[in-house]
Amino acid sequence: MPSSAAYRILDAEIDAAHERDRARAMDPEQLIALVEASGLRGRGGAGFPLGRKLAATRASAAGGSAYVVANAYDADPGSPLARTILLKKPELVIDGLAIAAAAVGATSGYLYLRPDGESAKRAVERALEVARPALGDLQVEVALGPGGFMGGEESALLAVLESRRAMARQRPPYPAQQGLLMRPTLVSSAETLAALPVIVRDGADAFKRVGTETSPGTKLVSVTGAVASPGVYEVAFGVTLGEILDRAGGATGKTFKGLHVGGPTGGILNATRTGVVLDYESLKAAGTHLGSAQIRVITSDVCIVNEAAMLFDYLSKETCGLCVPCRVGTKRVEGILEGIYSDLGRADDLPWLDQLADHLQQFSLCGFGITSASILKTTMREFPDDYRRHIDEKSCPTGTCTPARSRRYETMAQP
Amino acid sequence: MSLIEQIQPSESQIPTVSHHGEIPSGQPVCQITIDGRAITAVVGESILRAAQRAGFNVPTLCDDEKLAPAAACRMCLVDVEGFERPMPSCHLPVETGMTVTATSDGLFTMRKQNLEYILSDHNAYCMPPCQVGCPTHIDIPGYLELMAKGQHVEAARLVKEVLPFPYALGLVCPAPCQEVCRRGLVEEEIAIRQCHGYGGELSLEMEEAPTPFPQEAATGKRVAVIGAGPAGLTCAYYAALKGHAVTVFEMEEKQGGMLRYGIPEYRLPKVKLDKELNSVWQLRATEFKGGMKLGRDFTIDDLLAQGYDAIFLGIGAWSSNPLRIPGEDLPGVIEAISYLRQNASGDPVPVGQKSRVVVMGGGFTTFDCARTSRRLGADVTVVYRRSRKEMGAHYTEVDDAEHEGIKLEFFAAPVRIVEESGRAAGVEFQRMALGEPDASGRRRPVPIEGSEFIIECDTVIPAIGQSPVLDWMETTPGVRKTRRETIVANGALMTDRPGVFAGGDCQMGPVTVIQCVAQGKLAAKAIDRYLAGDDMARVAAEIREEEKVPELIDIVPYKPEEPQVRMPFLPFADRVKSFQLIEKGYDKGAAEKEAARCLQCVCPDVGRCDLQRLSLEHGLTENRFHRAEPVDYHDYEYDFSHDFILRDLNKCINCTQCVRICRDVIGANCYGLMGGGYDSIVTTPWNVSLSYTDCVSCGACAETCPTGALMMRERDLQTYELDVVRCIYCGDCVEVCPHGALGETPNFELSTYQRFGVTVLAKEELAAARTWKPSEHIPLASESKRERIRPPEIRPPGPPRWNA
Repeated sequence: MPSSAAYRILDAEIDAAHERDRARAMDPEQLIALVEASGLRGRGGAGFPLGRKLAATRASAAGGSAYVVANAYDADPGSPLARTILLKKPELVIDGLAIAAAAVGATSGYLYLRPDGESAKRAVERALEVARPALGDLQVEVALGPGGFMGGEESALLAVLESRRAMARQRPPYPAQQGLLMRPTLVSSAETLAALPVIVRDGADAFKRVGTETSPGTKLVSVTGAVASPGVYEVAFGVTLGEILDRAGGATGKTFKGLHVGGPTGGILNATRTGVVLDYESLKAAGTHLGSAQIRVITSDVCIVNEAAMLFDYLSKETCGLCVPCRVGTKRVEGILEGIYSDLGRADDLPWLDQLADHLQQFSLCGFGITSASILKTTMREFPDDYRRHIDEKSCPTGTCTPARSRRYETMAQP
Repeated sequence: MSLIEQIQPSESQIPTVSHHGEIPSGQPVCQITIDGRAITAVVGESILRAAQRAGFNVPTLCDDEKLAPAAACRMCLVDVEGFERPMPSCHLPVETGMTVTATSDGLFTMRKQNLEYILSDHNAYCMPPCQVGCPTHIDIPGYLELMAKGQHVEAARLVKEVLPFPYALGLVCPAPCQEVCRRGLVEEEIAIRQCHGYGGELSLEMEEAPTPFPQEAATGKRVAVIGAGPAGLTCAYYAALKGHAVTVFEMEEKQGGMLRYGIPEYRLPKVKLDKELNSVWQLRATEFKGGMKLGRDFTIDDLLAQGYDAIFLGIGAWSSNPLRIPGEDLPGVIEAISYLRQNASGDPVPVGQKSRVVVMGGGFTTFDCARTSRRLGADVTVVYRRSRKEMGAHYTEVDDAEHEGIKLEFFAAPVRIVEESGRAAGVEFQRMALGEPDASGRRRPVPIEGSEFIIECDTVIPAIGQSPVLDWMETTPGVRKTRRETIVANGALMTDRPGVFAGGDCQMGPVTVIQCVAQGKLAAKAIDRYLAGDDMARVAAEIREEEKVPELIDIVPYKPEEPQVRMPFLPFADRVKSFQLIEKGYDKGAAEKEAARCLQCVCPDVGRCDLQRLSLEHGLTENRFHRAEPVDYHDYEYDFSHDFILRDLNKCINCTQCVRICRDVIGANCYGLMGGGYDSIVTTPWNVSLSYTDCVSCGACAETCPTGALMMRERDLQTYELDVVRCIYCGDCVEVCPHGALGETPNFELSTYQRFGVTVLAKEELAAARTWKPSEHIPLASESKRERIRPPEIRPPGPPRWNA
């Protein structure tokens, strides 16, 4: 890993306020062109180029009011990336937000936080006090989300800011067209915005020197599970998952079985796939996604079927309940998976799960349901033995599963 | 161009407004393609609206053109060129040149999956399959609900609307209703038959049997019913209730037909049967003439000559089918029906202690003969040419027979009767194997060569079906028979001869009692219409329409498990040599407990429910999400506390239409999505009664609800009274009435008066029940023609013209 890439955000020696003021003095079109040239992509998981988002928001606003929201919600409890930045470099996020506001012409901005991140909240409030006099007519407020996974979804977040239940909204129209209070809104993760002062200082080319061609820059990842030093690390895009594990001291304890990449809706990759490169495209090709950038090491005493069922159990509790595939689908998939690890599985459960995964992916309203299909797709592909042992031999491959249910779903016809 | 750039970003883009039918002139339009067809759409409207206007059937459950789209139900998803995943058509505005695929196999499968999910969390049902399954279509959930409340006589009354003999049928019915009971999807079906049996038994103890409705005034018409069996007596009962004078002719001395002479005492005690059948004779102008046989004592022409206006033939099927094998005529081979009749009448029968009896067949008569013989002390073998599964008798009957010590022999067909000193001494059988299915869907047995064997016996009872005795037909012109020896009748059960109707076994061939009762009921209806001079072709069409089997979908029911309340039975040991009734009957507690198990699979929204319609369109006849753990389903409490709106969360599909209409159109904002995750449900805040919200009782939510989750309460005008002294003629009631009941004229107070005048005062009971008495004479439309009456005091815009 090139040393220049390390800790660009977390340990950046940068006068963010200065860069902010420089950016605000720039022509907004130029500023957007600079961000576009840098190739900066959204760190929230989907990886949409920030430059294009800025341009779309600005165009939609057409001189009218617009909003910027820094999503520092950290929906995945296992991946406190935004909190890490806010604790270490809150000014990067605030000034990044100000730069984005300048680019789209917004005069209101929100720092959207988890309700339980007390220290991060205090840190950002302190930094905001410092920055506020220099922000001019830009009003920045700290807003707290409702807690729970769904609170971090970009459209649910807008609903929360409008004092409504955290529920996803169908896109298009994207927030860039109709966001908060029906006005164009730039919603970007705190981590993405934190890169803006760096880009303004170093320029697009310098930013692109790190990372890969399609995913430039560095990324915060949260390494959890059975590793020597779990925590948040900043790595350049393009490193392999194995290299990230090495940064965290390598897998520990029992034998290393798999890697759960991307948070609760992410897929689980086999331990042999440590060569997979960390960038948006490679992870997608591997069947998962960057998501919350959590990389969790799973050891050999974990039954993958059980693990998948637990994930769907979590998802079925966290779904916003609006669309059918997600509200009912996650519950039904959980039930089928629990049936399998309770040794009630049948051979045709696997094609069935495949079918339900396709349905989740195709018919869900927001990224929650769409991406959760990757759990099924990857686990069935990467760990077929775990499923087969439970279904064919009615035994747990790791000997750890205790039956969760005594009855499975049955097909019945109206008599 | 990016996705973002493709869509014009502006508030005016919210695609909520649209127009059905023609596009108003002056609207900016654009061209799109849906399923290969070029469509003109209004700029800014949703694809769904454009598709609907062009006549495409895009399914949707959460769309209302008054409301902002929610894209919640995920049914209207279509493939749009340029989008990698299907997009909700309700939410996507049309754009020039858009290419949309609204129907494809892939979308159909996905939508079907969606519906399967919805139905797996829709703890309700639309049409009770039991009611559909019962040939008489008893309102089963209705009477079970009454029974659960302890209103047993009322329940019996409800049953008697279509089935006059609930006690008898409670004992002998094969209960096709129970086979389809949806409680069976939870654990065990409801004992439906036993429940109405209890209600019937209870009404036997009443001095006068309850009738479903009061007998109508005498019509002066006379109906002759031939045959006092289930079909005939049912026909007589309902014809008499309609006010016709009914005479029943019966060839035997006593009433009951096959119920009395075909069904043995241990299944149906004759004393109680008589008591129940006597309910027919309790009706005015009904008469029983025993010992009168058609063809022997009278003919149809005689009856018509005697002045009967209509005749119903319910003569049953009393002749046993021949075996068509050598030795059939030997002494010792006896006819099944005569055997049962002799036994029932107390006549001597050729079966006794130590007899060895072979009964051939697999139907109800087979087992009646076998079990009767067993009770007479015989050693009985039942031989059937197919397997147990194919037997026509109810499986409980077969199981019981086996437990009572009757030997069962399957896959054997008789070849000849073995003769010994001029008598039957055994039957030679040939083994059969099952071959290809025949027309009835049952696999046809094929003989195995060289597999013959003999069962020794002294009595042979062939019970392989019966046919009606139609020898009287030769002298009766105008009544034809089919090749199967049954009477020809049309859809209104009328034979070729006008005024002569036929039903039951003699028209269908031997069937179950309940089917005969159903036909008797239909025949009574047809006769009534015939006597009123209606066009019989139209009556036939109506009956066909009513009897049409509706399509049913599969919805996952969920209720805490509770096993069926077991019917107390006579122990098997006591059954040998005893004709005592086997089923001891429920007591009050047991009947009420069992009736309370009913899932009440009825929904007033049937036919209007979008979920039902879409599920039928997508062919959801099975569901893969049955019978898992309680955590997988929801069982909500009803909220029927509101005066106008009934809420049943079990039927809610979270489409959020009520949320949006109440918030955005009405402004009361009573509903929201509450709870979390899978347990999210649309309800009031803290799930309080709707009465405690800002509800204005407008009914908009019930109107827009795609299922039966929100429904208007059935209303009774008599409870709504206009206190003219207090009314300030504000017109608010006109504004909010969702049914336009008060909006018929510009002067709503007049429409109120008219309404009271026509609907309330016309009915004396209703008027008497009211606390408010109109202080002045209220003019009726008919009176106003005669003289000009001063209308009641009205405020501007002035008095209406009463004689207009």
